[in-house]
Formats: sequence, structure tokens, C-alpha cells
Amino acid sequence: MLSLVRRFGTLIGFCAIIVFFWTQLPDTFMTPRNMLNISQQISMLAVVAFTMTIVMVMGDFDLSVGSMASLAGVAAAIVFSHDYPVYAGIAAALAVGAVGGLFNGFLVSYIGILPFVATLGTLTMFSGAAFLVSGGKTIFGRDIPSGFSGFARSGISLEWLGLQPLHLPYLTILAIAVLVLVWIGLEHTPYGRRLYAIGGNYEAARLAGVKVRILRMSAFALTGLGAATAGLMYASRVASANPTQGSGLMLDAIAAVFLGMTMSEEGEPRVFATLVGVLILGVLDNGLTQMSVDSYVREVLVGAIVVLAVASSSIGKQRA
Amino acid sequence: MTFLKLDHVTKRYGAAAALDNASLEIAAGEVHALMGENGAGKSTLIKVLAGVVKPDNCSLNIDGSKVPLDGPDDAARHGFRFIHQELNIVPHLSVAENIVMAQAYPRRFGVAVDWRRVHKKARAALERLDVDHIDTRRKTARLSTGDQMLVKIAATLVSSDAHPARLYVMDEPTAALTGQECDKLFAVIEGLKQSGASVLFVSHRMNEVMQICDRVTIYRDGRTIETTKIAETSRERIIEAMTGRAIRDTYPARAHAPAKEIFCAVEKLRTKHVSGLEFSLKRGEILGVAGLAESGQSEVLHAFLGDEKPLSGKVEFQGKQSLPSAPSVAWKRRIAYVPRERRREGLMLRRSIVDNAVLPHLAQLGSGRIFSSRRKERAHTGAIAERVRLKFGRLGQPCYQLSGGNQQKVVFARALGKTPELLLLDEPTRGVDVGAKFDIYTLVRELSTAGSTTIMTSSDLPELIGMCDRILVMRDHRQHAIVETDGLTPARLLQMFYE
Repeated sequence: MLSLVRRFGTLIGFCAIIVFFWTQLPDTFMTPRNMLNISQQISMLAVVAFTMTIVMVMGDFDLSVGSMASLAGVAAAIVFSHDYPVYAGIAAALAVGAVGGLFNGFLVSYIGILPFVATLGTLTMFSGAAFLVSGGKTIFGRDIPSGFSGFARSGISLEWLGLQPLHLPYLTILAIAVLVLVWIGLEHTPYGRRLYAIGGNYEAARLAGVKVRILRMSAFALTGLGAATAGLMYASRVASANPTQGSGLMLDAIAAVFLGMTMSEEGEPRVFATLVGVLILGVLDNGLTQMSVDSYVREVLVGAIVVLAVASSSIGKQRA
Repeated sequence: MTFLKLDHVTKRYGAAAALDNASLEIAAGEVHALMGENGAGKSTLIKVLAGVVKPDNCSLNIDGSKVPLDGPDDAARHGFRFIHQELNIVPHLSVAENIVMAQAYPRRFGVAVDWRRVHKKARAALERLDVDHIDTRRKTARLSTGDQMLVKIAATLVSSDAHPARLYVMDEPTAALTGQECDKLFAVIEGLKQSGASVLFVSHRMNEVMQICDRVTIYRDGRTIETTKIAETSRERIIEAMTGRAIRDTYPARAHAPAKEIFCAVEKLRTKHVSGLEFSLKRGEILGVAGLAESGQSEVLHAFLGDEKPLSGKVEFQGKQSLPSAPSVAWKRRIAYVPRERRREGLMLRRSIVDNAVLPHLAQLGSGRIFSSRRKERAHTGAIAERVRLKFGRLGQPCYQLSGGNQQKVVFARALGKTPELLLLDEPTRGVDVGAKFDIYTLVRELSTAGSTTIMTSSDLPELIGMCDRILVMRDHRQHAIVETDGLTPARLLQMFYE
């Protein structure tokens, strides 16, 4: 019984949450429209959480993803406002993400600063840089090309499913694409397997010929890229960019990975488990909003559920 | 007089029984050996005694009355003290802190730690071991492994007076010690015995057991096979009882002499930690590296692994003028390494046997250039597991579930993934039982016959002499001598460490 709770507690909890909202909101919750809506709402968090999983596999984490998302969004908007084409803005944002991530990785892997301290520092740096280049203002209106903001508002028509007015949002598709890429990368390539090995035992991996330093740095770069992608998605969705819009992402992303880790026997992060974590947070948010629960109460609840999930997976766990 | 009596101890993990109705009886003031192959259940029994593993069934009698054993607190109350195979010290704390850690620190005004008394207490504990060369203010990490062991033993001596120590459980205490340090430990054990305490001594080293133990209990497959007086048994009988078959405690014979071809030559090689290396190796030769503890043996291996940068000297190796610049380069050049501390440097304990075994060979076992192939990895690991005679449940099993010897075999399986050109073995049989040892010896011999050159360190001198063609003697991190093993005796070799 206890081991069942430990193993499947998170999944059982997820189902309980869905059943709860289903009964409380019989007309609006379990509808195709709402499902698609949730998928779009969580797509940015999902991308950040999936790529956060990459560094967490090595036992590291990245606190700077939120401010990196803001910075990347602002960077794209600045490029747009100078009348460059859409792809230039996207390239600039992704480049900012990759360089910022490499910098994080360099600090952690080559200088040897603890990830917590290094990315706490860069969190502040990226955030400051976002304010600096944007002048502290929200960039919107004519500066954001409609081709860019249109992306987040459209999707693939679901006519063929008989769901006439509904679209599968492009943002959702993008998140699924990132999920598949990260899954293949982590579980089905030597690259990802080596990251897991580093997480298992850094020194042993190094002595077994794994190029630990460069791998660790590259993983941070990928997390930075993911954060920048999320920043672009956010900017597209709200057709504007401001230097604080990504700030909520970091804690939720880490919480999602932790929720996912409670589902694996050995407590390892897996990207599909992270997806469940993201879904739990997204469904909670959606359902509680619909029930018009106060947003402060919502925060207390979400935090409590994360703690509960991690606690239930640790009950009676034997130390190896 | 019987002090402790354990009966009907059963512990199952899933379908496999680690202990199956095992028993153990220890008299007051005796040194009792517990022997058995890896996986025989010794470690599990120790964990049961320590209260960290809850057995499915168990009855414990102390001084003839039944007592509970429900957790580490009970173990402490009964006066059990544990000295583990892998030292659990806190390296960056001082010696004194490591010794008094388990108790309340002496206080001044009820708040501040009274450091003078802490050090006094620690010194007193060390003095009981007749140790006066360890400064209690030093960081424990700076001590040699042998001294760390003494610190660990001292820590068990400063037990709270409410529950005086009555049984010392020593799990492979000599694995990391030099001969000299072992002798010191044996003197300490003798002292503990005189004071009326009992010692449960777990070791794979037959000589030690014969030398210091009064009785021996032998486990096989989780069952008690027999308990006998050491004086009334023999090595051969013990090994037979452990393995259930008669193996001689010897080394497989060399099939033929190594080839003439020179595989590697170093001249006046100096690195940060070792110097004066000057030797050449023939293809297929097995070179031993010996010396007192921490005289630079491991560093010789590290130089070939690319983990110890050469500062000067000439190298001719695999047709190149250089040693590998990093372990990743070494593995590419088919240099395989079995590290000294398998838990710290060897294994990802929570990861599976497959993941551990294929790690350096992931790229070769992939499908296409990008993807890895679980199917190929499993097939590869399955074949190698058979070659190293790994005992396991399933290939996806995490390594912490394996016994020490089988964990070591996983590390070997990794090294043998591609037939290595150079095999670097740092204490390859440390904490490994007789049967597994013999398997490892046989493997090294096979590899040597197939053309792999081997450099190995070991503190087990008969093993070095039995396995190696030549032995490089290190003293104070310098090459002292290089000798042929033909006709060499352990005593003569030992002498070279000191002369």
C-alpha cells in the first residue's frame, strides 16, 4: 500500500484533481475547448520545464530561465522595432538564449561555481539587461509584426475531428515538438545517456571517459535555448515584450520537474514525467481560475501540492 | 560464554533471499570471523545488526535473554559498533570532530563547544589505540587511508558510557591498509578483546582470519554453513565451505610468455605526484605496481589514464610520443580503467547494470550516428556479464542492489567493453571474495593472452607476485626498483618497500 502511494501517488493525485474539477465544473472543464485552452496556457511553462529537465538530469538546475525568457522576448522585440524581418528577431532571441546558457554552463562547469549561486547571479544579470535594453518599458503595438504575433493566435484546424471552430494551437504543437526532441535527446542518444551518467556519479563518469565539462556546459546552453523559445512564445502570445514577463516561469518549471521526479523509482528526472508535472500545475491553475478561487489561495494550494507529492514519494524510502 | 545469539534471520528482496534462516553466535571476548563469497549475505547480516535493514524474521538474544532490534538506536543500546568497508568520515572536518561526532560535543556555558575538551577526548581515544602520530587538529582528508581507519576506530571507542561497546563489527577493515597498518589494527583488536569486547571480523583475506580470529562462521547463499574454531580448520576447508566446491587459493597460470613487441616505453617520466618512471612494457605483459600505502602507485595508473599530466620525460606509447591528455582520450585509445574506489569513482549506483557497463562505449553501440540502441546495449552487456560471471537478477537492475564483488564485476564489464590495449587496474580485487577473485584473475590472464597489456596495483602481495610478470616498486612517489616476479617472495618484496 505504502509503496503504491510512493510509486503512483503523483499520478493518482493528478487523476483526483481532474475528477474533482470535472465534478465541480461539469459544463466547462472537461471540454475539448478547455483542454486546448489549457494546452496553450501551459505551453511556455512546458518548454521551460522540458529543457530544465536536461540540466536537472545532471543534478544541476538553472534559476535564470525566467529572466532569460524575458530578455529573449525583449531582444526579439527590439530587433522588430528596428524593422528587421521576423526571422531576424527570432534568431536574435535564440542567440541570446544560447549565449546566456553557455555562460551559465561555463560558470558552473569550467569555473566550478555551484549552479545555485551561478544562475542566481545570471538571473539578476539577465533581468537587469532586459530592463536596460527595453528602457524598462513594454514594447508593443506596431513594433511587433503581425506575422509574429499571429503565430500564437492560430493553429491547425480541427475540422477533420468534427470540432469545427477549434484549432490545435501552434504554441501547443511547438511544445510537443520540444517534448519529443528532449525525449529523444535524453533517452535515445549517447548524449543524453551521458548526462544521466554525470547525474549518477560525476567522478565515475569522468573516469569512464565522459567529457563531463563540455557536456555540462552544453546542457546549460540547451536550457538557455529553451528559455529563449518560451520567451518568444510569450511575446508572440501577448504581442508585446516587457522585462518581467517571464519571471514566473522558473519556480513553476523547477516544481514541475520535481513533481515528475516523484514518479520514477530512482528519483531521476524524466521528461515525460516532467510533462505530468506541468499538466498538474496547468490543470490546477485553469480549474481554480474557473472556480474563481482567489489567486493567493491558488499559490498556497499549488505550493502545498508540490510539497505533498515530494513528501509522499519519500515516505519510508530506503536509502541506497 | 555466549554473548550474542542471532537465529532465524531471513531477509528477502523480492524473490531473492539475501538471508535465509541464517544464524550467528558470538562469545564474549572473542574475535569471530564471518566469511562467505560476495552475495553470501554477510553485508545484509551486518546491516541487520546495525538496525538499518529490517529483516523479515529474526530473533536476537543477548546474554541469554531475548531483546528487540528495531533500529539503529537498539543497536547502539546493545553496544554494537560498526566500522565499515567504505569509510564514512567527513573529510573536511578535523580528526577530533570525526572522533566525537556521534556524541554531544562538550559544551562551555551550555552553548559554545568546548574545543579543548573535544580534542582531549579525541586524543584519549587515539591513545587507547596506541596512536600518537595523528594530530587531532588536522583535517581528516589529509590523512592516509590507514590513519583514517584508525580515526574511525577511535570514534567508536568514545562511546557514551550508558551503552558501553560490546561488539565491534569490522567490515573489511584491512582492505585499504598496508601491512604495517594492518599489524597496528590487529594489535588494537587484541586490546579490545582483552577488555572483554567481541569483534566480528569480516574479511576476504584468509591470512588475517587465520592469524587473528578465534572462530569462524561461514555463510553461503544466505545460509549458515558452519561455525568452527580456527584452530580446528584449514584454509582449504574454509574455501570449500564458502564456495561449495574445492578451489585452490592460487592464480591461473600464464599461458605463454608475453610477445617481444614493445608496447610502451617511458623515460625519466615525471608528473605532479610521481617521478623517475623508467620502464618499457611488452605487449601482453602484466606489470604490478607496489609499495607502502600512498607511495604513488595509483598515480602511475592515472598518468596513463590522462588524469595526471606529465611534466617532463619521454614517452613512446601506441606509436605516439604522448600519454592521453584526458580520460576521454584514454578510452578512445583503448585504455580501460578500473578505479580503486568503486562506489565513489566507479559506479553510478542507482543506474542499471547496462547503463554502467556501456558508458564508455555508447557511441559504438548506437544505431546510426545519432541514436543509441538499447537492444544492442543489452546484448553487449549480457554477453560481457557472462564473461565476467556476473550474478544478477536482471540487466536493468540498479547496481546498489548487487553485492560488492558483483559491483566490481560491473566495473570490469565496462573496462572489457572493447578489448583494451592497456588495462589499468587499481586494487582490482579489493573487497572481493575468493570465487570472484579467481574469476577476475582468470579474466586478466585471458586478456593478457589476447594481447592486452596490464598495469595493476594491489596491496595484496601474493596476488601481485602470482599475477604479474614484473613489479614496479614505488617509494615516496618515486620509482625505486623494477623486479621480475620469478622466484620473488612476498617477504622479499615487502623488504624492498622499506630498504
